[in-house]
Order: sequence, then structure tokens, then C-alpha cells
Amino acid sequence: MTEANRHPIHIHDDACIGCVHCLTACPTRAIRIKNGKARIISELCIDCGECIRYCPHDAIDSLTTSFSDLNAFKYKVAIPATVLYGQFDNATLPNEILFALRRIGFDCVYELSTICELNNAAIAKYIDSHPKPRPLIASTCPVVARLIQHRFPSLCDLIVPIEPPREIAAKILRANLPRVLKIAPTDIGIIHITPCPAKMVSINFPVSMEKSYLDGAISIRDIFNPIFQALRQSQEDTIMCHLFPETIFSGIGMGTALSGGETRGLKNHRTVAVSGVRDTIRVLDQVELGLLKDVDLLECTVCPDGCVGGPLAVENRFLAKSRILRLVNQMGERTVVDSSDMSMLYHKDFLSFSHPIKPVPDLPLDDDRGRAILKAKRRNKLVKQLPSKDCGACGAPDCRTLADDIVRDQAALSDCPFMKEEK
Amino acid sequence: MNEENAYQQEFQVKGGDFTRAGEVSCEIKNLLKELGLSAPIVRRAAIAAYEAEMNIIMYAWQGRLDLSVTPDRVRIVVEDKGPGIQDVELALSEGYSTATPEMRELGFGAGMGLPNIKKNTDDFRIVSEVGRGTRLEMTFLANGHKP
Repeated sequence: MTEANRHPIHIHDDACIGCVHCLTACPTRAIRIKNGKARIISELCIDCGECIRYCPHDAIDSLTTSFSDLNAFKYKVAIPATVLYGQFDNATLPNEILFALRRIGFDCVYELSTICELNNAAIAKYIDSHPKPRPLIASTCPVVARLIQHRFPSLCDLIVPIEPPREIAAKILRANLPRVLKIAPTDIGIIHITPCPAKMVSINFPVSMEKSYLDGAISIRDIFNPIFQALRQSQEDTIMCHLFPETIFSGIGMGTALSGGETRGLKNHRTVAVSGVRDTIRVLDQVELGLLKDVDLLECTVCPDGCVGGPLAVENRFLAKSRILRLVNQMGERTVVDSSDMSMLYHKDFLSFSHPIKPVPDLPLDDDRGRAILKAKRRNKLVKQLPSKDCGACGAPDCRTLADDIVRDQAALSDCPFMKEEK
Repeated sequence: MNEENAYQQEFQVKGGDFTRAGEVSCEIKNLLKELGLSAPIVRRAAIAAYEAEMNIIMYAWQGRLDLSVTPDRVRIVVEDKGPGIQDVELALSEGYSTATPEMRELGFGAGMGLPNIKKNTDDFRIVSEVGRGTRLEMTFLANGHKP
């Protein structure tokens, strides 16, 4: 994959009818309709997946790892996001879901909630040992990291440099599995099961390390039915799970599937949790204006209600949230991660970024500041000329964006149907 | 580039309109990014513009921010019709505030507004007339040396 087609968001031209739903849904105005088909401007796309949700023709989906890709590995490991536990009915225990994953072909399934708790504790330790600057921003959501790099580059220094749970889990497995199983590292495939397309980008184009510890990500959408069928056919597994609950789960870690999950574990800190892509942008704008300085940790997840609202999840987020909350309550606030283990890993830098997240500011109107000023003036004139109907018929999401595209030489005033009439 | 070629835009701010607080400074911030100014100057101008915008909202009846950008500098002139400042020297000292308890409850009024503006500008002038209003002139140099 190259930078030009780094995004997993894919538009099926045969299904796309060139309507305007995705245009207005895109929070970074990264979509245009060209020759009757939706096109994504790679530099502007942050992989949030809003367009996937809003397309009424199912013409947009996400390129994630497929089952056949798994054949490249002799030993397959699944690391499911804790969101997966909320996708099945209340009677289905998390253990049964892990069993079902083994039944459908994974040699090993690594439970993530304990690592989420570990990550949480490491973030708390980082906050305590860094009294400044504030607010620190949690980096678990890869879209937030990308949004900050591009749109809020001056906030890169505020990102907590602790790797997200999925990468920590994969790193632990990479360090131990080849030795324990006596298999070549390249024969081991470690796959994340994800509710969102952005994880695929964070694996292929990591921002805080040279190479991801994960080999791919399968969407919950794709794996839901195989798990569902396996659950139906495996009555013995159910009994086994009930009689021998072998896996240890963390209630604190389980909660990170929901917005506020990362901050809930931080009892002695001032925290703010935001979810949804537009509200996240709004709050980051405020941070850039110098606000929220009295907040220790700002948790942003771009999906509504947190990862549980991911565009590649199957169950509606309200039901999934209710189920996860039930599990959180059952498991309670008991910690399962040994604090001295965490401290040891923290001080060995096992949990931290290998390099800081670097700013990649969006392109200005022109590289030359004088010309940029002229273009901005011309854009203001164009905005006054355009009809302000924001209809999308020109192929841009709104009149102001069309004016922007015109001064950037990406569009013409005649693209606007109302301008044509006046001629 | 002379003044006539500068990018100029005027922004109105209404006193007491807390629901729109920060919108103008946010727009200025995004505009400066589009004009290709460096991150430190954008940040300084954004923080100063926000403080000035909040001062209008909290204390004045009506005000405006006049933005002017050339390749070398950003200038924001803030004028309001309001009560004015009794003692400008005092208002410029950190910790001094005339904010009401309601404003403090909203997190404002720590007496850092004007000092914060002064700290973030390369050139700062203030003229105030009691009963009439206040005028601020803030200049940020593209190659300024402030932190």
C-alpha cells in the first residue's frame, strides 16, 4: 500500500450513484463528486468512517483483512476488541465468544480487557510523573491521533505517548510466542478484531512506531456471522465455559469499549471524555485556544459513545453499550493487573511510543504567504457570489468548499449550476 | 506588501453572548493556518484573540475584531463599546479581575486575560475610556521571538 491509497475506505463505483449524503457527512470535507462518483481526497481523509454510516446505497466500505489472508500464517492469533463482547445477546458469555473464535480457526485468542487495564494504569502513571503540560490527550483512538497531526498540529505534544492496548498485547505476544511455541516469528499472524476502519491504517501506517506489532485487522462485520454460527453449534463449549471460567477479565478494561472508559479508571485526576467526531473537533479547537488547562486527561473517541459505536460493529450501539455495562458491573472494580508488573513494564519503556507523533499540518492555500493572502481574498469574493445553498450539486459539500477548491485550482465556478443559469 | 494588499476581515462580537464564545477566535485561528503562518504564531494569535473575544462577551455591550494579515505580521485591533477600564496598569497585572461570581463559576475571571494577551503579542497597545469602551492593538510578527 502506498501513501496515495493508504485509506481503507473504499468506494464501489458500480453502487455509487453520486448523491450527496457522504459529502455532507464527512467531517473534514474530504469527499467530492467527480464525474458522478464519490472521490476521497487522501490528504484530508482521517478514516473515521462517517461516510460508511451515511451511504444509503452501501457503496462505501472498508478494506480490512480477509479470512483468506490468514492462510499466510501457520499460527493465527486473534486479539478481539472488547467491543466484540457487546455484539451478542446477554446470555452469551465473553468466554464463549473466545471459544467460538478458536472454533473458526484461530490457534490462540488473546483477551484484551486486562491489557486495557494495564494501559489505563500506565496512563495514570504518566500523568502523575508529568505535571505539565495540560490537558494531556489519550491516543487510543487512531483517528484522533491523525486528526491532531493534520488539523491541530500544535497539540501533538499533548498526546500521552503510551501505545494503545491492541499494540501492547501484540507486542507481548511477539516477544513470547516464538520462544514458547518454537515457531518462526514470520509464521505467526496476529490479527486484531476491530469495530472501525482506522485500525487498519494504524497497522499499515503507524504514527508512533516503525512497524506495527499486528499483521492485520478483521472487521466485526466480517467475523460476526462465523462466530454466530460457531456459537450455535457448540453446546459443549457453553457448558465448559460455565464450569471452567479459565480466562481472567478486567471490568475496568472492559469499560474502555465505551466513551469515558479510559477516564473512569482515573479516580484522582480531573478528566473529560468526548465522543463523536464533530464534538471531538470542537473540543480540540478549544484546547488550541488555550482552554481546558485545568484538565489532566482529555479522552476523545470519534465514534459516538466510544468504540462501541464503531462503523464496522454489527449490533446497534445502545444495546451493545448496555451489555458491556452489565459485564463491567458483574466484574466490578477489582484490579487484575499487578501494579508492580505495570511499573516494571513502564520503566522499561515497553509501553511507550518508540517515537513521538509528528505534526503533518494541512496544506495552506499556497506555499507563498503573499499568494495565500491573495487566494483567501479571492475566496471571500467567490463565497459572496455563490448562492449559499450548500446543495452539493457542484460536487463539493458546500459553497465555501467550492470557493476553496476554485482558488486551489481544483474546481471551476461553472461547476455551480446556479452560476451557469446567470450566464 | 502594503496595507492595501493585506488580508482584512472584520468580526462582530456581541456582549453577553456566551453561547458563541470562541467562535470568532476559532475562525481566525483556522484562517491563519490556511494563510500558511507558522504554528507558534497561530497559537499565540489564537490565544490572544480568544482572551480579547471573551473580554467583549463578559464586560462590553458590543465589539469587533479587525484582522489584518500581511506575509510579515498579523494584526488584530479590538474595539468595544463598554464600561472601559478604570486602571489599565492594574488590569494588566496578573490576578487582578473584576469578574462577577457568575463569570468565575464559568471558569473565567482569574485575572489572566490582559496579562495573557500581553504575554502572547510582539506589540500590544491598550487605550480605554471609562464609560465609552476599550481599544486593543495586538501585533504578532511572523518571525517573532516570543515562546
